[in-house]
Amino acid sequence: MTLLRRHRIASFLLAIVAIVAFSIAELDFTMLFLGVVLAVLSWYVTEGPRGRTLPDWAANTVVVCAIGWEAFRFLSTGEIADAMGALGRAMVWILIAKLFARRTPTEERQRFALSTMLVIAGCLESVQFAFGLLVIVYVCVAIWTTMLWRLARSAEEARHSRELSQGFAPPLEIAIGRRSSPQFRGLVIASILVVLAGGVGVFILFPRFAEIGSASAAGRSVSGFTDEIRLRRGDRITESRRELFTVRWIDPDGSARRMLRPLLLRGAVLGWYDAAGERWVPLRAEAGIRTLRTPEDGAFARLARNEPDPPGAAATVDIEMRSFATDVIFSIYAPIAIATSEPRSVSIDPATLVLRDVSTDRMGRYWNYQLQVQPQPSAEMLRALSAGTEPRGAYLSFPLDEVKPIAESMLAEVQANSGLPPRPDSNATASERAVWGREAARAIAAYLRTNFTYTTDLSTLPRVEGEDPIVSFLTRYRRGHCEYFASGLCAVLRSLGVPARIVTGFIAIEYDENSEHYIVRESNAHAWVEVRTGPDAWMAIDATPEESLIELQERNRSFVDRFRWIYGSLEFFWNSRVVSYDASVQSTFANRVQGSWRDAAGERLSQLLAKMRAIATDLSLGRAGGAWFATIAIGVCTTLLAVLIVRTRRRRLRARLGVLGATRAEQRRLVRDAAFYVEALDMLERAGFMKPAHLTPRLFAEELQTRDRMLGDAFLKVTDRFYSVRYGGSDGPSNASAGADSHLSLLLALRAAIRQNRATRRAD
Amino acid sequence: MPLANDIPKRRTRVIRAGVVYAGVVLAIGIAAGSRPNNLLVWVFACLLAALVASGIVSGFMMMPLRAVRIEPRRGRVGEPLLVRYEIQNSSRVIPAYDLHVAEVDATKASGLEPAGEAWVLHVGPGDRVHAEAVFRPMRRGTLRLARFEVTSTFPFDLLRKVLIYTQPAEVLIHPEVHPLREGVLERVTAGGAGGQRMSSEGGGTDDFFGVREYRPGDSVRQIAWKRLAGTGKLASIERSRSVPPRVRILLDLSRPTSALRVTEGEDARELEERAIVLAASFIAYCDQLGYEYALSVAGLPIPPVALRRGHFHREKIMSLLAALDLELPRAAGNGLSASEERATTIVVHADRTDTSVAPSEAWHFTARQLESLIARDPTKIAADERAPTASQRREVRA
Repeated sequence: MTLLRRHRIASFLLAIVAIVAFSIAELDFTMLFLGVVLAVLSWYVTEGPRGRTLPDWAANTVVVCAIGWEAFRFLSTGEIADAMGALGRAMVWILIAKLFARRTPTEERQRFALSTMLVIAGCLESVQFAFGLLVIVYVCVAIWTTMLWRLARSAEEARHSRELSQGFAPPLEIAIGRRSSPQFRGLVIASILVVLAGGVGVFILFPRFAEIGSASAAGRSVSGFTDEIRLRRGDRITESRRELFTVRWIDPDGSARRMLRPLLLRGAVLGWYDAAGERWVPLRAEAGIRTLRTPEDGAFARLARNEPDPPGAAATVDIEMRSFATDVIFSIYAPIAIATSEPRSVSIDPATLVLRDVSTDRMGRYWNYQLQVQPQPSAEMLRALSAGTEPRGAYLSFPLDEVKPIAESMLAEVQANSGLPPRPDSNATASERAVWGREAARAIAAYLRTNFTYTTDLSTLPRVEGEDPIVSFLTRYRRGHCEYFASGLCAVLRSLGVPARIVTGFIAIEYDENSEHYIVRESNAHAWVEVRTGPDAWMAIDATPEESLIELQERNRSFVDRFRWIYGSLEFFWNSRVVSYDASVQSTFANRVQGSWRDAAGERLSQLLAKMRAIATDLSLGRAGGAWFATIAIGVCTTLLAVLIVRTRRRRLRARLGVLGATRAEQRRLVRDAAFYVEALDMLERAGFMKPAHLTPRLFAEELQTRDRMLGDAFLKVTDRFYSVRYGGSDGPSNASAGADSHLSLLLALRAAIRQNRATRRAD
Repeated sequence: MPLANDIPKRRTRVIRAGVVYAGVVLAIGIAAGSRPNNLLVWVFACLLAALVASGIVSGFMMMPLRAVRIEPRRGRVGEPLLVRYEIQNSSRVIPAYDLHVAEVDATKASGLEPAGEAWVLHVGPGDRVHAEAVFRPMRRGTLRLARFEVTSTFPFDLLRKVLIYTQPAEVLIHPEVHPLREGVLERVTAGGAGGQRMSSEGGGTDDFFGVREYRPGDSVRQIAWKRLAGTGKLASIERSRSVPPRVRILLDLSRPTSALRVTEGEDARELEERAIVLAASFIAYCDQLGYEYALSVAGLPIPPVALRRGHFHREKIMSLLAALDLELPRAAGNGLSASEERATTIVVHADRTDTSVAPSEAWHFTARQLESLIARDPTKIAADERAPTASQRREVRA
């Protein structure tokens, strides 16, 4: 009978899940804490040893106050976008008030409705994975609660119907079978599975919008990486420890190892500083972008069109995505070949050597790839990769003139301290200028690392109106994060006439010695500078203090990092498969399913036919082979079906005859000899006369006689015969054909009586 | 004895909660379709799936159920009529929960008012469970039950699945019995023809009756030791036993209903029914006191029931009273004569006394006296204890 008491705890849990879900959706942890604490308190107060509840007037007052307070807050802020949030918050407090109120059926219904509305309000507010998980949990708990509530309500109604008679009717004795609780659990689980399966089906088939705006970005995953730098926005800098991917460096001899310096994984090259927008953006791509298709067998596809022969030894970088889907292919300078876990279309910009996945399917998912790289590529290789593309003049210009004197003074200071040679004059060769530019970049980067401070917290730095953030960084604050260091270095170098560009991507610092790979986290998003060192050659210069990055990495490390990628993968799955599921993904999915079914079925059929042909050839069956196989297949199927039917029938007969406790020999005998009785019962049941369990066969026959004399008589004879077989030691029909005839005649007589009865009833 | 004589008809009924739920689902569906929010679509999908799952689960649950009404043999007006139902779940896997069983035709107008529904919490796979419904029979006679239905709104209270069984049955409803005032019957039977007396046969435990030859099985205590000593033969002493008072009740229905004298606001048929109730109450009281009693009905072609006592005798008489058909034509002249077996005679008339239907020493009551004869609160009974007796005397004199 515990089933009837459990609905209270179930409805309480449902309310808690709804409150937690909405708080997570709103990212309001104060409400989460307060709501859960008050809800738990309500359970102690209402269901504890004293069992007190809030009077109706007090509960109603709390409800009115909650509505009034939230309405006041909403009207005072006046943000229409927060309307659903205000409504949800009001509902949370009303729900908590209801948890303290009396447990009447109406209150229960209101609590259920409020919980559901809270979850729906949360759906309009958030698409986070954690909230989605709570929605699924809510669905499961709601099913459980509803089923328990239905039972409790029915019991209450049945009791109430007796109470209405004012003592006339005896109290209700609840009719209950065996093992009700375990079976109820099973039924709840089955119902949950049916609902979830149906829900998934409806979700997949529900007509969708062509594109789900912001959600499509979620399909590509969120990370610290972007292909532009906005210096005024501090929100890009994240300390998230989410594991995005792993990188393994494999030497040309095939051994994995850790590099002396952190790996810089290039994602985007930013060549243009937009002074008005205070941001670095990529130069517009020009003609010359090549696209290639990676092979299916995982072999490397060469990125250069006219590769030098021989290409030279190359290391391999193995990148395994953990929870990151993007069209950017992160590579180490300079990539010469790529292999992917599945065939993809890859584009390469010869001017920047930035790789992109340009495959057309939009099913948000991630895939792994390997790159062959040459850290110090030959000039021929670089020429082959760049395909003769000349670097543009934009790499030499910087739009802010006020940086030039800063750069000059910084150069003078550097030259005084580091022995940097003077700047080559206009008669110097390009090679001399390139060498000086490289040395200057190194010296200025070292200067920045020494004299500037790394910080991710820019909130304490006041903004100076009308002053560019790069200028502020170089002159006023002298502190910032990697974007400021890279921007400052690039601005100074360009002002000094050294071609430079900013690269964004990730820096791989954390190395796992056990699995011999680098772990790249969201917080490893990085920006650095590349300086031109030759006609097609660029060299990475990182002005950010490496020690600060390592210290930051170490400071945030915890044991949870080992498991963070699991949550990251789930979150990615949620974002890519649920949140960003739109019309195009729906269409892709439908085509893929259709194609895979067709392919799989066709493949199996062709395999089967080939096998049959081979057997037919081996056995020299000739053209009749097909007919033979068909005959054998039909025979096998028929035999299996017959065995199945016989087994089922025997099992059913044993159960109907109630001989499961007898010896096997006795069971066999009775199943063989007394089957006619079960057949008679079946005939009667089909005719609408079901034998109640509490009646013996003879009593049932006598009862039938009172209904229909002829029918009763016919069945009485069957019963007598059954008694003689079951208890009287009759041999049954198997040993005497006369007995079989007798059974048959009895059944025929019964059938005639049934027909007669049916005709009579029809006439009536 | 119960027999299901029909395969159940299956029905699915839409209930209010289901309609409201469908409306909510539709609203959420429209919202989900009009804005790009996949979580809302997911909620809508789950709600829609719950509606489908409700139909599937309840369908699978109700499919293998078989129900049989275990008919009660008899009931009594004013007493709970318990009707049992046997629910069998022939499924091997799926249990059934939350089953309500109700008689389709049981209404106040039909003479059977529901007073407590039959409810089954759970029937496991292969289980049989009995549930009990309570009804309040409203009138005497043969009650016909035709259909009953097994319903369930489990699991989500959105749809009502119904199995309708047609299983005609007849239940005899005995007339209502009221406890009569203490001493009414004792006064009537004190002395006179029906009083207590000694039996003319042995076999009791009171005074010496005689000696007879010993029979195997006689108790040692019964052995007449003196006779044994004198004759050397075993003999047993027989003792007399007292015979309880005898009451013969004559229900006078010799006057046609239309010929009854009724005052304003009275119903003639109601008076006759009350006369039957009074007669039944006398019978019940006689049975309670251990009297022998008999019943004759004047005016209807009912054979008289002989003087007996005991449960079966009482049930026989009650069944006879229950089955009285007041629509039959009345015949005069089948009252009691003085030559009947010695017993106190009580005549129950509908509207007024008629001494011609019974011997002169008979006691006459009318249906209008029913209220005054019914036992009331003990304190009130003590206050006006004599009143009914005087009233009866006046009736007799009249």
